Amino acid sequence: MLNGLLKKILGKGGSKQIAKKRLQFALIYDKLEVSDTTLQSLQRDIVEVISRYFVIDQEEIKLEFQRDRDSSALVVNTPILSARRTITPA
Amino acid sequence: MEGKRVAVVDMDIGLRNLDVVMGLENRIVFNIVDAVKGKCKIGQAAIKDRRIENLFLIPASQSDNKNVLSPEDMLRFSKVLRDEFDYVLMDCPAGIERGFENSVAAAQEALVICTPEVSSVRDADRVIGLLYSRGITPKLVVNRIVPEMVARGDMLSHEDVVEVLSIDLVGLVEMDNQVVISTNTGLPIVMQKDSKAGEAFRQIALRLNGQPDLPIQVPSTHKPFWKKVGHKLGFGR
Repeated sequence: MLNGLLKKILGKGGSKQIAKKRLQFALIYDKLEVSDTTLQSLQRDIVEVISRYFVIDQEEIKLEFQRDRDSSALVVNTPILSARRTITPA
Repeated sequence: MEGKRVAVVDMDIGLRNLDVVMGLENRIVFNIVDAVKGKCKIGQAAIKDRRIENLFLIPASQSDNKNVLSPEDMLRFSKVLRDEFDYVLMDCPAGIERGFENSVAAAQEALVICTPEVSSVRDADRVIGLLYSRGITPKLVVNRIVPEMVARGDMLSHEDVVEVLSIDLVGLVEMDNQVVISTNTGLPIVMQKDSKAGEAFRQIALRLNGQPDLPIQVPSTHKPFWKKVGHKLGFGR
């Protein structure tokens, strides 16, 4: 009861945020026609390649899609902590 | 539509319904398939609406299926339609198969109608993509908005839908029980002056017909302030 009252006052909750999130992901997968596991292994590979040249914060790396009218872009965002002195060859 | 000659074409061949919605079902003699195949003239297939001046319906055939017409047929037929009418509205059936192909074959513009639900918005995104690939930039109508649910955070708002689809809006239509009554009786909703949905549709018509900047009204809950506060605190409904 108190919980419900709090919810009402704060205006929190609501299923639309879930709907929006699910929708945005569904559209990305529809466009790319790839599965979640493919995206995860892509992220792993990207991290590996960047790590050869830079020290990055692996926890903070973000893989996201930006959609324009007729194109979509894959954006990888990562904080670079420092450059590696000796580049380990592939 | 504002004195212009308008034809509405039901492209849902095999699942004809625009005739009953418009209350013109008992006046059908010929249909679009007859007109395209040259079995009748356009003037014979186009049923004149007696209540709204200059409005005509070209009904679908109920006994054929979508494959009876081809996009090439429609390109040819549309040339004739353009000479006869100022606006031709093709009511595209659901799906992205032949019915869709036929409907958009000759289109110069397109309106995509969706509701604020996950399945509808996803399908709209797909259709918008298909229209873009044909060089058509569609506009969006969000239908069946329930302002109370939007206010509560239980329904996608029109801003959410526009953000997800990144497309221009041309109208917002509130959920309106009058629509059911209107289709029961076959009396067009735009003729019912007190209907919110009817008003929204009239405004969309104005925007399409030379007033693109007419402001779009956002359906709202219209609740007095104190009632709103009471509601938040859990009093009343």
